[in-house]
Amino acid sequence: MASAPIDDAVDERRRRRVSLSGRLNDRVEALALLGLAVLVALFFTLLPATGDTFPTVANFQALSGSQAVLAVATLAVLVPLICDEFDLSVGANLGLAGILSASAMSSGAPLVLGIAIAIGSGMLVGAINGVLVTRAHVNAVVVTLGVATIIHGVVQAKTSGNSITEGIPVGLLDLGSGTWLGVPRILLAALLAAGFLYYVLAHTPYGRRLYMLGANREAAKLVGLRTDRMLFSTFVIGGGLAGLAGILQVGRAGSAVPSIGEAFTLPAFAAAFLSAAAIQPGRFNVWGAIVAISFLTIINGGLNLAGAENYIADFVNGTALIIGVGLAVWLRRRRRAVPRRAADGPGAPVAEPT
Amino acid sequence: MSDAAAPRLVVEGLSRRFGATVALDGVGLDLRAGEIHALLGANGSGKSTLIKVLAGVEQADAGRVVLGARAMPAAELTPAVAHEHHLRFLHQQDSTFGPLSVAENLAAGTGYPRRAGGAIDWRRLRAETAGTLERFGIDAGPDDRLERLRPVTQQMVAIARLLQSQDDRQHGILVLDEPTAALARPEVRVLHEALRRYAASGQAILYVTHRLDELSGFADRATVLREGRVAGRLDGDEIEHDRLVELISGPLGVAGAPATRVAAARGGDVRLRVEGLRGGAVRNASLAVRAGEIVGVAGLVGSGRSSLLEMLFGTRRPEAGAIALDGEPLAWRGGRPHDAAAYVPEDRVRGAAFMPLTVTENIMAASTTRHWRGLRLRRGEEARFTRALMREQGITAAGERVAFRTLSGGNQQKAILARWLMREPAVLLLDEPTQGVDIGARAAIHDMVRAAVARGAIALVATSDAEEMAMLCDRAVLLVRGVTSGEVAGDELTAETLERLSYAQTTVEAGTRG
Repeated sequence: MASAPIDDAVDERRRRRVSLSGRLNDRVEALALLGLAVLVALFFTLLPATGDTFPTVANFQALSGSQAVLAVATLAVLVPLICDEFDLSVGANLGLAGILSASAMSSGAPLVLGIAIAIGSGMLVGAINGVLVTRAHVNAVVVTLGVATIIHGVVQAKTSGNSITEGIPVGLLDLGSGTWLGVPRILLAALLAAGFLYYVLAHTPYGRRLYMLGANREAAKLVGLRTDRMLFSTFVIGGGLAGLAGILQVGRAGSAVPSIGEAFTLPAFAAAFLSAAAIQPGRFNVWGAIVAISFLTIINGGLNLAGAENYIADFVNGTALIIGVGLAVWLRRRRRAVPRRAADGPGAPVAEPT
Repeated sequence: MSDAAAPRLVVEGLSRRFGATVALDGVGLDLRAGEIHALLGANGSGKSTLIKVLAGVEQADAGRVVLGARAMPAAELTPAVAHEHHLRFLHQQDSTFGPLSVAENLAAGTGYPRRAGGAIDWRRLRAETAGTLERFGIDAGPDDRLERLRPVTQQMVAIARLLQSQDDRQHGILVLDEPTAALARPEVRVLHEALRRYAASGQAILYVTHRLDELSGFADRATVLREGRVAGRLDGDEIEHDRLVELISGPLGVAGAPATRVAAARGGDVRLRVEGLRGGAVRNASLAVRAGEIVGVAGLVGSGRSSLLEMLFGTRRPEAGAIALDGEPLAWRGGRPHDAAAYVPEDRVRGAAFMPLTVTENIMAASTTRHWRGLRLRRGEEARFTRALMREQGITAAGERVAFRTLSGGNQQKAILARWLMREPAVLLLDEPTQGVDIGARAAIHDMVRAAVARGAIALVATSDAEEMAMLCDRAVLLVRGVTSGEVAGDELTAETLERLSYAQTTVEAGTRG
C-alpha cells in the first residue's frame, strides 16, 4: 500500500531467497526422522546377527501388527496434546474398554455391539476427564492420573485379575491377526483411524482451532472460540480413540488382559511428542506420530532380533520420550518453527511474482 | 531537606537508543541524602528507561554515574554494582508473596535465621520481624498474612524488605516506581508520611509518579523528562500542578496537528450507546458513538480504558449499565465476543498472536470457516486469499506460511488488524493499537482503521499516546478513575490539551475525594 514499487521488488527478492533456503531447511527437518528410521532399518538389514530375519515379510507383519494398537493409543494422546493438555489415562482407558467389550461379547453380544461398548466407554471416561478439567478446573495431569488409578481399581474389581479369553468373536480375531494382501488388517485399521484424524486436524476448521488453542489459549478465547467446549471435545475424542485401541488390542491378543493398558501410556506419549519432530516440524501431527512409532518399532524390533534383552525397549522408549519432549520444545521456540506444508498443499509457490 | 548535603547519586549525559528511537538523550540528575526527588514525565518520556539503567537492567550508550565516592561510566552499572552501592528499587510489578506471612516476606530479602542443624529459627525470625516492623512504623504483626493487610501496609512491607538490611541508612538510595498506583488517597498520605520519616533519617528517595497532585508539600525537588530529555527541574515551592503539566506536555502548539476531520460524522446517527456502564476498573461510563466516527478513549493507566473495551467486546461482564448497537442491546453471551465487534488487545503477544502458527492461520483466525466448503478446508484458496490481503495491507513476511513470530511487531499488528477487518465488523475496539511499532507501521495501521471506518464501521481507540489520539480520532472521551469525565473534539483535540486534561482531571477528582 504505502511502499513504493521498488521497495516491493526488493522485498520480493529477499522474500524468495529466504523462502528457498527455508524450504530446503523445512524439508530436511520434516523428513529427518523418517530418514533416520530408514537408516536404522538398513543397519539391521546389514547387521549379520539380524540380516536373515529383519528384512522379511514375516518380521514386517509381526512388527507392524504389534504396533498398530500403540499407533491408535498415540492418536488418543495426540488430540488433547495439541491443545497443550495431557491425558495420562489413555492406557488405563484402553484396558477398561477391552475388558468391558470382551466381557459383553463373551456373554453373547455381537461384535458390532462390542466395538460400540469399547468406543463408548472410552468416550465416557474422556467426558469425565473433560468435565473435571474444564468445569472443576483441576489440572489435567492430576485428573487423568486420578482417573487412571480409579479405572485400574474398577478393572480389578470386575475381573479379579483374571483375563477374559472365552467367546471373543472370530471376526475380531481375524482383524487382530489376519492379513490383507500381505498387510496386517489391524495395521490397516490403525492407518484408517490415522487418516481420518489427519483429515480432521489438517483439513477442517475444528482442527485449525485446536492448534490455535494450543498456541495461545487467551488469544483463542479473544477470537471467539469456545475454548472450554473444545478442550472437553479433545478429551472425548481421545477417549474414543483409546476405546478403539482397546478393542483392537483384544483382537490382537485374543483375550482381554486386565491392566495391559498401562504399558501403552508411556510409549504413546513418546511417539506423540516425537511427532512434532517429523513431517510437520513444530507441531504435533498425525503422520509425524506414525513416523515416530515406525522409528521406535524398528529400533526395538531390530534390537530384539539381535538378541537384546526385553528391558532394552524400556531404555529406548524412555530416552525417546525425553528427546521427543526436548525436540518439541526446541522446535516450537525456533524462529522458523513451521513447515512448508503447514499452510497448504505441497507445490504451491511461496510468493507470487508481482 | 539540606542543601549542603553532598549528592549521593549523580547522573550525567545519560543516553540510550533503541534502534531509531532515542529513549534517553543526555539526561542529568542528582539525588541528595535526605531528599525526596520526584521524577515525572508522560508515557514514553524516558522515565522507565532511566530507572532500568540505574538498576543495571538496561545498558546506557553514553553517560556517567557517580555513586557516593565512586564515579564510573554508566554502561558499567550492573544489578550487582547497583546493589553494592545501596541502590534499592521498588518496581511497579508486585514482588511480595501474598499468601505468606509478613515475617516470611521480610525474610525473603535477607534469608532466614537458622538454628544449629539448619532448621529455621522461627522464634528469632518473629522477634527480628517485630523489630523491623517497629523501626519502619508498620502497623502489622509478624504472623499476619500479607494479602490480608491494607494495600498501603503491603507496600510498606515491600519497602521495608528493601531497606531492612542497610546497616547505615545514611548510604541508602531508594527508587520507587509508581508506588501509589494502587492506593486510595488516605493511604497515599500514610505512605508519604512514612517516606518522609525515612528521608529524614538520611535516605535518598527517587519517586516516580503520574499523580501530580500528590507532590506539592511532599517532594523536595522534581525533574521532568520529555522525549528523553530533561524538560525542567523544580525546587520546593515551584512544584505545583500547572508548572508540572506545562513541563510534561511541552509548550503549546508543538504537539501533532489534528488530522483532517470527517465533517460528515457530526450529524450521523448514534450507532453505539453506552450508559452507566460499570465493571472492572470502570465505575460509571456513558458515551455515544455516531456513524463514521473514530472516538478516542483517553485516560491514565488504571483509568479503566481496557475494561471498557473488554465490556464492549463481550469478554468482560458488565456489573451494571447498558450497551446498545444500532438500538439493539448487546447482551452478555457468557464471555463470548459479540459478532459485530472486533478487538485488538493491548498485549499482542498474550492476547492476539498465535506465534508458532503460520501467518495464514493467524490472519484467518477469526474466519476459520471462510474457506470451508464441501467438507474441506480449501487451503490453496486460503493461501491465495492471504497473499492478496498481505499485499493489499502491506504486511511484509517471508511468505504466508512462515511462523507468525518471524514477523516484525508492526507487521504482526497489521496482520491482527487485518484478521478482524476482513469480517467487516460494525465496531472496531482498539487498545493501544500502535504500541511498540515503528512510525511507518503506525501510519499504515491508522490508514487501515480510517479505511474500515470509511466502509461503515465505527471505532473506539484507547491509547496513552496523545499524539496518536490527536491524529486518528475525531473526538476523545476522557476516563478518569473509571468515570467518563468530559470529552474533547475538533480543534481542541491536540496532544497538548489531552495531556493537560488527563492530569488536570486527576486533581479535580482528588479535590472532591480528598
